[in-house]
Amino acid sequence: MPDMKVRIGDLELKNPLMTASGTCGYGDELTGYFDISILGAVVSKSLTLKPKVGNEPPRVAEVACGMLNSIGLANIGVRRFVDEKIPVLDGLGALVIANIAAKRIEDYVSLAEILAASKSVRGLELNLSCPNVKEGGIEFGTDLKTLSNIVKLVRKVFKKTLIVKLTPNVTHIEEFAAAAEAEGADGVTVANTYVGMAIDIYTMMPKIHTVTGGLSGPAVKPLTMAKVFQVSKAVSIPIIASGGIFTWQDVVEYMVAGATAVEIGTALFIQPDAPGRILKGIEEYMGDRKIERLSGLIGGLRFDRDKVPHINRNR
Amino acid sequence: MAGKSILETAVIVNTRVVAERTYISTIRSPQIAPIVEAGQFVMASFQNTLDPLLPRAFSVCDVMDDTLSLLYVAVGRGTKKISGLLPGEKLILNGPLGTGFPRMERGQNIWIAVGGSGAAIVPILSRSAVRAGSRLRFFYGARSKSQLVPFEISSDIAYSTDDGTAGFHGNVVGNLKQELKQAEPDMLFGCGPTPMLVSMQKEFGDKIPTYLSVETPMACGMGFCQGCPVKKRGDASYYLACKDGPVFRSTDIEFEVKP
Repeated sequence: MPDMKVRIGDLELKNPLMTASGTCGYGDELTGYFDISILGAVVSKSLTLKPKVGNEPPRVAEVACGMLNSIGLANIGVRRFVDEKIPVLDGLGALVIANIAAKRIEDYVSLAEILAASKSVRGLELNLSCPNVKEGGIEFGTDLKTLSNIVKLVRKVFKKTLIVKLTPNVTHIEEFAAAAEAEGADGVTVANTYVGMAIDIYTMMPKIHTVTGGLSGPAVKPLTMAKVFQVSKAVSIPIIASGGIFTWQDVVEYMVAGATAVEIGTALFIQPDAPGRILKGIEEYMGDRKIERLSGLIGGLRFDRDKVPHINRNR
Repeated sequence: MAGKSILETAVIVNTRVVAERTYISTIRSPQIAPIVEAGQFVMASFQNTLDPLLPRAFSVCDVMDDTLSLLYVAVGRGTKKISGLLPGEKLILNGPLGTGFPRMERGQNIWIAVGGSGAAIVPILSRSAVRAGSRLRFFYGARSKSQLVPFEISSDIAYSTDDGTAGFHGNVVGNLKQELKQAEPDMLFGCGPTPMLVSMQKEFGDKIPTYLSVETPMACGMGFCQGCPVKKRGDASYYLACKDGPVFRSTDIEFEVKP
């Protein structure tokens, strides 16, 4: 078995493959299709202090090589997650990272306190980037000061691995990554969905109830690839890439761009058994290329820095 | 709640044109076909392509041994592509998914209104009614005669067309209303366009035990994406069409997506 281990903060993952928040319920629902203990980590749906029913339909729409969604953080609430889902995930042998979202800064802290007390929650991912609810994410994640403040406050109460999920809907995502690092985050997820829109030209109505939604899928992969690369030049904490990953080649590509781990999301809707195939593909690639440690690929992009001067401009 | 669902590489056996732009594809699916119940659905996606990206939801039309069939009106990119697959070509099926129609009892009279691709449920319901010993009467509506699929089933079937080219001149709910003056069934089922379901709920939902198979945009069909909410009646929260439905008791739900 080749060495696919990667580290985010104090947390060692057996491989870089994680699920993206909100794309497989609480993780347990995947078990009909594969053994979730093969994953590096399972990331929960965004949890809020109180349960949320989510947005009115329509919540999803297909677009070219992608989809728009506006679910509105529908979830069972943090208490039920801890009481009902954690024991199930423990039984399934999953490494659990909880994703949290809130309307108020102090609620992020309360959520972090509750989850810090759960031994099975090994890490926390702060959703500061949901584009589909009025407050709760993107309002915080597009303001450097607020993002810094939330990370600082959560860091005080949560000592385990802390990851900040960033929005790509900013001009310089690397500034937000650097702010998260400065306040003690152990990693950043690059990135949440892109604000997008589609219209039904026969009814003249938006295809998503909230008019705009979050774009995901293969369509966003090159966009996110560039952001992972930019962020990798700005921070030294691990980057978790998330955007249009469907194949093992996508994982390798993101790692070469600078990612330490990856999150698979939209692909699970179409191929819920994809993780097993992806891991097998990586294993074969490592064997063929005689790669002993997968982490050796991280940031291995070969390019002539002197001949591409604009690459250095951000820093 | 649904039982276990399976991801299977299924093989097209044949595809027939059965009415205007309407097809039935028979597909060899030895793992899924034997466990499908009437009103359940499968998600179909294509091998080796990400465009179209999302799988398509189909109510299973019929099952026979290790094959199942899907009935669809080829209007979108996905359905057009499926209609063009040749015998031997592959289609990825995920299913059976969702909660189907309630169990039918011996001697029960059940009336079923269908329209458009909702007619898919006619053969599978007819087959399970024979097994259950219940009596079915279908009310099948279309815009015009050319869009009606000529099913070969033992149950009664009453047609209605908007242009009067076959059967009752008017829509299927109008026909049902007229027939309900003479007799009343034990249960009423509906599967078809949302306006038809909305009208069935309004006209009959509180009088007759009515079960409706809803159609909503859906990304995954498994409850992962939470993309297919159906409003609970008298409650601020939602069911998911893919898991709690697609068949719901009419009195349990409210329609939010206006026709």
